[in-house]
Amino acid sequence: MSKFLATFSQTYLSKVRAKSFMISTAIIVLLIFVGANFDKIINIFDSSEEITTLKVESDDAFYAQFEAVMEPIETDFDVAQNDGEIGDAEALLRVDGTEPLAVTLEADQEIPGDQMTDIEMALGQVQRMMTIQSLNLTQAEAERLNASPDITYDIAGQDAEDGEASEEASEAGGEMPDINPLNTVIFYVTVIVMFFIIINYASQIGTEVAMEKTSRVIEMIVSSVAPVTHLLAKISAMISVSLTQLAIFIAAILIAIQLFDFSEIISDFGLEANDQTLTMIIYSVIFLILGLILYLSIAAMLGSFISRMEDLQQALLPVTMFSLIGFYIAIFNIWGSADSLLVRISSYFPLFTPFVMPLRSMHEETGQAPLLIGVAILIVSIILAILLAASIYRNSVLSTSNGIFKNLKRIRKE
Amino acid sequence: MTLELNGLSKSFNGQVAVDDINLKVPAGSMYGFLGGNGAGKTTTFRMILGLLQPSAGSITYNDKKINYDVTNEIGYLPEERGLHPKLKVDEQIRYLGQLKGMSKRDIDTKLTEWLERFEVPENRSKRIEKLSKGNQQKIQLIASIIHDPKLIILDEPFSGLDPVNVEILKTAVKELNRRGATIIFSTHRMEHVEELCESLCILNKGKQVVSGNIDQIKSDFGQKEIIIEGDHDVEFLRNMPGVLDMKQIRRKSILKIEDEKYAEPIFNEIVKLGYFKRFQVNEPSINDIFISKVGHEL
Repeated sequence: MSKFLATFSQTYLSKVRAKSFMISTAIIVLLIFVGANFDKIINIFDSSEEITTLKVESDDAFYAQFEAVMEPIETDFDVAQNDGEIGDAEALLRVDGTEPLAVTLEADQEIPGDQMTDIEMALGQVQRMMTIQSLNLTQAEAERLNASPDITYDIAGQDAEDGEASEEASEAGGEMPDINPLNTVIFYVTVIVMFFIIINYASQIGTEVAMEKTSRVIEMIVSSVAPVTHLLAKISAMISVSLTQLAIFIAAILIAIQLFDFSEIISDFGLEANDQTLTMIIYSVIFLILGLILYLSIAAMLGSFISRMEDLQQALLPVTMFSLIGFYIAIFNIWGSADSLLVRISSYFPLFTPFVMPLRSMHEETGQAPLLIGVAILIVSIILAILLAASIYRNSVLSTSNGIFKNLKRIRKE
Repeated sequence: MTLELNGLSKSFNGQVAVDDINLKVPAGSMYGFLGGNGAGKTTTFRMILGLLQPSAGSITYNDKKINYDVTNEIGYLPEERGLHPKLKVDEQIRYLGQLKGMSKRDIDTKLTEWLERFEVPENRSKRIEKLSKGNQQKIQLIASIIHDPKLIILDEPFSGLDPVNVEILKTAVKELNRRGATIIFSTHRMEHVEELCESLCILNKGKQVVSGNIDQIKSDFGQKEIIIEGDHDVEFLRNMPGVLDMKQIRRKSILKIEDEKYAEPIFNEIVKLGYFKRFQVNEPSINDIFISKVGHEL
């Protein structure tokens, strides 16, 4: 155990202390904080300044209507009648004609987009009211004109008992999967993080193993510690390094949430948990960790095949290829049916399982059985991959022959 | 406390690398493996360490098989040198020392001692890749002996070193042996075996040509060398019984005789001629034994 810890801590510390780790972590943390303050950054570069008062030059009737329309809109400027003076942070709205409505907006500065939208919206409403008046429509006719379409939303997380209409809608559109935005976010984060870590750390562990082999220090190491222990320590260390980085990112996100106000964004996107969220989080974490172990074990095995650093990228190609395919299957099927044949089949293929199973776990109808089978498949694959990696590692550490196939042939013969 | 190899063989893809080696390395001895390239020295060492599985035969250390339970007692310097190039010397030694079950504190104390002994204390916090080849080799030797192993296996420990460093390393190896460590090392330099070892094993193409105590081997070998130096013509000695070969270099004649018993009649013959500066009967050199057994020079 102490030998395991020696290799573990040596690999872990040297990786965490490496400049590349610190720089890449710092860049992402910086991006998180930049992202959290995106609105403020936009404001810095936005030369337009908000107006505080909008002065209106018109007859009393228009002004009264405009003021009435503006009142319910939550704007950050006041509306006043023109008193002939336009000061700083003030704009003038001059009505040139009412039939049809024609106005001129004057200001000494750019007006921000959201204030413009408010003004345009209010003007549109005033025009509609004026038209209704000029056509002499009855109250009922006016209401019909203003009525909005009857839209029923059937979205995961909203109670289906909202009304009959929603029941009907869900029956009619039964094929559409229920997608909860929060679960989608969790899914995307899991799959993207897994892909990112696999691509990044597979090449790192491959490099680690190959470098030890090519520098021949491995002969001293395996004369002190069993190759399997050494390999496991290396893989665990690399997974811990990746999880450390992940933890730093999560901490940065949590700090950003504490420091800056996100409540608007969260409510805007309707990020609310539903019944499936907890199950999904648990399975996502399990598949994330198992996926990392599987891919990193395979990368370590592939790294031990080669004896020249130049061959590393070529040797790691299968890892890149399979993780990319798994990633795409998962990402492109999120809006389709979780029960499609491709998703179902690929979710049982060990190298795709960690990507595709989190997608299936989003949907309640998947049930526990396939997810547990997925976990079992991964555990068995990991055990096989590690056994194979250890056996190949043990037999190939002392080999200097080039090429994966030559090594495989040799190992099979021995 | 001995290392025993019984009928040890190894073949790769049908090619025999090591063929039926039988030997005993007594505890506390210094044992040399002598052989050219491809003689099977490294393969034998790797099998002793359990890095390769023998095709046949067995290896026991203190009557037990060598496995990872006893590796803390063994120190190994591989023939192909290599350390983690990006690590600093102290980080590297600390890591390899910990793999041998040492504590960080012990490693640091020992490292200071060894760096001073090898006259490179300034290298302690340098990166391995910044060191010269000879200094890297010293660091690697420190890594293989820092845990005070009872059995030390050194594969070509002196190759690639300048004479000054060879001397430093030889002194260290002798010192380790004096402190009780059993040392096995391979070399293709006869003089190192002659100087350091009590026992040796000559390997040729995987086969064990001769092995055992050097003095015993020399005396069993029988052949002796006689050096005669003087002004008289001694060409007639070539035809004396027991003389195998004779070389004349100016006034010096070197005779090879089958056995020591033929030395006396030769001595009696030349004293009849008068004064000779030198008459000396030598033990055969390892080189002579090697050439005679293997059939060619190393």
